[in-house]
Amino acid sequence: MSAPGASARRWLWLGPLLATMLFPFAWMAAISLAPVSNLSVGRAFTGGVSLQHYQALFHTAAVSRYLVNSSVVAVIVVAMNVATAAMVGYVLARRRIPGEKLWTLGIVATLMLPRQVLMIPLYLVLARLHLLDTYAALILPFAVDAFSIFLVRQYVTGIPLELEEAARVDGASDWTVFRRVVLPLLRPVLAVVAIQSFLTNWNSFLFPLIFVDSDRLRTLPVGLALLSQTEHSVDWGFLMAGSTVASIPVLAVFLVFQRQILSGLLAGAEK
Amino acid sequence: MRTHSRATSWALLSPWVVAFALFGLYPFAFSFWASVTDYSPLRAQAKFVGLSNYARALADPAFWTALGNTAFFVVGTIPFTTALALGLALAVQPVFRGRTIFRAGFFVPSVVSVVVLSLIFKGLYASDGAINGLLLAMGLRGPDWLLDPHAALPAIMAMDVWSASGYYMIIFLAGLEAIPRELHEAARLEGASGWDRFLRITLPLLRPTLLFVLVVNTVRSLQIFAEVFVMTRGGPLHSTTTVVYYLYEQAFYRFDLGYASAVAYLLFLLTLGIAWLQARVVGSEEPLR
Repeated sequence: MSAPGASARRWLWLGPLLATMLFPFAWMAAISLAPVSNLSVGRAFTGGVSLQHYQALFHTAAVSRYLVNSSVVAVIVVAMNVATAAMVGYVLARRRIPGEKLWTLGIVATLMLPRQVLMIPLYLVLARLHLLDTYAALILPFAVDAFSIFLVRQYVTGIPLELEEAARVDGASDWTVFRRVVLPLLRPVLAVVAIQSFLTNWNSFLFPLIFVDSDRLRTLPVGLALLSQTEHSVDWGFLMAGSTVASIPVLAVFLVFQRQILSGLLAGAEK
Repeated sequence: MRTHSRATSWALLSPWVVAFALFGLYPFAFSFWASVTDYSPLRAQAKFVGLSNYARALADPAFWTALGNTAFFVVGTIPFTTALALGLALAVQPVFRGRTIFRAGFFVPSVVSVVVLSLIFKGLYASDGAINGLLLAMGLRGPDWLLDPHAALPAIMAMDVWSASGYYMIIFLAGLEAIPRELHEAARLEGASGWDRFLRITLPLLRPTLLFVLVVNTVRSLQIFAEVFVMTRGGPLHSTTTVVYYLYEQAFYRFDLGYASAVAYLLFLLTLGIAWLQARVVGSEEPLR
């Protein structure tokens, strides 16, 4: 530990910097709780607290629907991501497949490729499969994720083979080995996968915007963005209440799982 | 040693095979086909048109405006984001009481939806918003940021620097942690100043991380879309139309999917080219001075 004096000095200049960087979020919360709906900063921070904007938000039927859609889609995508990353990452790490190098290369290539390049072709493929404007369009293209697979693959490489071999000597089948021996060992990395995939999916905007057209299928970010350009364009209290609601799940997940999130990020940086 | 049968392997691998084929390879190939035809869902039959979609993009002033805006965005944000991220990483690397709070705090903008960030900044940038209020308090009159063709793009860029630097700070931290402390100790004993040690030890050893940050941030910046959609819709006077926003308009307002596919391919080639170039420049073995 360094001297308390040094800590204090660091706080003296990092503290104001952090406060400045987080000010926009304080502003968001203040406006969402202000009893009036104008932009005056002073009044937002001093004019008392009211939940009227949140009431208005949840009385707008569409917003509750967006929230449900976002939650349902996020939960399903996360579950599918965890399951497929565990399966595929495990196989790729154990190198028992013809052309294993090629598959891994395919995954790395997918990681490098900006997804936006695929937005039109992906849209066309979904159109052909008659999946546009369905929940499936919000889920299937994101159910298998290259980055998640890559994380699991790296993790499995570090697990000794002996455990699996011992189970096999005892007569366990492939499936039993995977489920009883491998899966429990993968728990930490699967937690990272689940958190990352939740954050990405909850905040996803471009693809839900173009893959879905009906208001009843919209997710929260898309719904908010469109509301902000139509009937609620200057209703800042309403928009900031919506923004706060959209941020609370990710902020909560971040606060609780900080360590896993940052470690997942670092694993990615080392690739 | 055999770990499992071939059949099990393929069964476990199948989700990836299906997803990669259906949502990766097939669209990638299909969009190339679309880019050399006049494909549109509004038309019954697509006609082969050769490279004319590519030629059309290269001859369209609106495409060049979008490309110019995107280039301005990249060049105008990345040095600031990189410097701020590195500065923050250096500031929160040493052990001090409460550094976790700072590490996590600076990262917060990275976990919040870009739509939310954009809505917040749309409010902050409003003519009567907090930023102009602050300027007024200092006796300055700010422009109507997002409605001024000269101010709108820089305003979005400033937001991007703010929102992205925490993410790259964490990446730099990983790089800094990997530098052996002994090097710094030895240099300190030799009487090297902090600045000397930064230039001679930290920066050269940080080069792989720097390269990674530059490549990832450039690739990301070439794809800027949500900010523009929420804050300006490409305006005023196309001053904030980025390549991906242009792509979106061509594909989903005009339904000119063949043309949009060609633009997407151009963006893809550009992305690859820039990543390669950066890898060559920053990754070269020549020592930094």
